[in-house]
Amino acid sequence: MDAVTYPENSVIAFINRHVVPLRVAYDSQPLASDFNVKWTPVLAILDEEGSGHQQTLGFFPPEEFIPSVMLGISKVHFDHDRFDNTLSTLHKLQGDYPKSAAIPEAIFLEGVTRYKDSHEPKTLKDAYEQLQADFPASAWTQRAYPYRLL
Amino acid sequence: MTDKISWETDWDSALSRAKSDAKPIFLDFFNPQ
Repeated sequence: MDAVTYPENSVIAFINRHVVPLRVAYDSQPLASDFNVKWTPVLAILDEEGSGHQQTLGFFPPEEFIPSVMLGISKVHFDHDRFDNTLSTLHKLQGDYPKSAAIPEAIFLEGVTRYKDSHEPKTLKDAYEQLQADFPASAWTQRAYPYRLL
Repeated sequence: MTDKISWETDWDSALSRAKSDAKPIFLDFFNPQ
């Protein structure tokens, strides 16, 4: 991460603008135990109270790092029922990084967010149909499979 | 624009900044060696 991703100007600008970056050694206690860190790099997105909403293991190149952090930010909003903020973050992710590996999960989360906001089952079916059309082999298409019946 | 990430290295400082800035925290567990 230090050699490739963190020196990238787009990454520096994104991190400094959208999150508070905190860096600790992998064996720093009690955080390492609190987050079950056994290998590095472990990257987590926390809310303002310090509760975790996404945790990943392993390297991200710059073009996948920002989408992954954006997805994590959207989960913070989603878990706090801030649906407008969830959707705006997911839309920016999908618009700015349409080829990212994070897109299928973003489509899934958008469908679930729209459903929780509107209680309209069609939003879930729409998400499944988009996933089936664009990412038929994705695990997120499989997870959305029951929504085809709605 | 700054040319590096402005890392916090202390949990309490990061929480305080997250609350005052109303931003999520990006936490990197790294290997310093």
